[in-house]
Amino acid sequence: MTLAIILIISASLGLIFILVYSVSRSLQISRSSGIAGEIHPLDVEAFRNLVDPAELDYLRRSLRAAEFRAVQRERLRAMAAYIQVAARNAAVLIQIGNAALASGDRRTFEAARQLIDSALLLRRNALFALLRIYIAMAWPDSSFAAVPILSGYERLNGSAMLLGRLQHPAVPVRISAAR
Amino acid sequence: MLQAHSLLWNSLWIGPNALLLLLGGVIWARGVWRKFPTFLVFAFVSGFGDLCVFYADIAPSVSPVSFWHIDWASLLFESALKFIVIGALFFNVIKPYKSISKLGQNLIRGSGAALLFLAALTAGLSRTDSPVRLISGAHLLEQTVFIVESGLVLFIFVFASFFHLRFDRLSFGVLLGFGVSACEHLAAWAILANAAPSAHGRTLLDFLNMATHLSCVLIWSYYWLTPEKRKTFPDRQKRPPTQPPSDPPSTFSGGNPKDHEEAVNDWNRELERLIHQ
Repeated sequence: MTLAIILIISASLGLIFILVYSVSRSLQISRSSGIAGEIHPLDVEAFRNLVDPAELDYLRRSLRAAEFRAVQRERLRAMAAYIQVAARNAAVLIQIGNAALASGDRRTFEAARQLIDSALLLRRNALFALLRIYIAMAWPDSSFAAVPILSGYERLNGSAMLLGRLQHPAVPVRISAAR
Repeated sequence: MLQAHSLLWNSLWIGPNALLLLLGGVIWARGVWRKFPTFLVFAFVSGFGDLCVFYADIAPSVSPVSFWHIDWASLLFESALKFIVIGALFFNVIKPYKSISKLGQNLIRGSGAALLFLAALTAGLSRTDSPVRLISGAHLLEQTVFIVESGLVLFIFVFASFFHLRFDRLSFGVLLGFGVSACEHLAAWAILANAAPSAHGRTLLDFLNMATHLSCVLIWSYYWLTPEKRKTFPDRQKRPPTQPPSDPPSTFSGGNPKDHEEAVNDWNRELERLIHQ
């Protein structure tokens, strides 16, 4: 009987998820035109400093072990926050790219395809990076490199700007904060 | 009314399967089956198989043992085809997205293996609801198939939701039908295989299963037979094509497309420098 209850609850949750997804999908299609405003510009330079291995070495050399662990945990939390914003921006850009795929213009289509590929790659890398960050929080002494995320985000920035320019020359799409 | 072999019972058994065969015929005649050939095979095999089981159920010449053999055969063929359709559908969805297609393929294979293991474990833990192995085995097989099927469909929805992948309308409709059907049938077969309901309870669950099957066939019919609505892009239409940008940045000074192209190239050069610095 317990097994039946577990299976019934799982099936009900699954059905609810499918129905919610279906409704949110139709809502997303109808509002895909105004989502560029949901992008939160990200300070790439600050993130670059945060993931700089030289900074990490410097902190490791100059702080005592306990202090270093506390500081490193804070830095990892900040990294996670940056990566979450980057992943959210990538999600918005995927939606913008998907909407732009319907364009009849070949260059816009190609730019949209490139943007979607870069954004998907970033979202995948962000997922793995977040997993690594949460593991690293348990062992702050271990070395950690988030540089692939940074370069991925920069590529995404380029693709987003190109697509934005092709679609709406007056409205730049920025996913990195102005310096 | 809610009795086995009542008019409603017979209608709910025959109706959805006849409709599924009809749907298969229509998509064959219209030539739209090429978008999704495996679904056409599924529609014909599933519809025909279930009608054979119905005939075996009512025909006095078919013995109970033969009925269960026919039920097993139909179930095995239909299940194999369902997994083929779901697999084809997933590869259809991820094919355009090169950067995650490898990840998607690995994940769905891993999920399939994990679900199969989970389903086998659940079948091992389930108590048999009938002393006849042929009957209890069929119930456990139904439960196993629906655990794997609902798990795979949910995986595809979660994967698409996480990466914001765009389903084409047809793939979404087919998957929605499979998802609703698999979740409801899983719950029903979990009760049938584990909770030993009364005869009337079994009949009610059969009605629920058949009604859900009808709903799913109607969902598939809607997505296969109705044309996709053309999307409009309001913000592209708001601005007349000849109107210049309201607040042009310094690098975009005029309405000449050549200026825009050069400006985009400038932007790209700057970005390339930023990436490589």
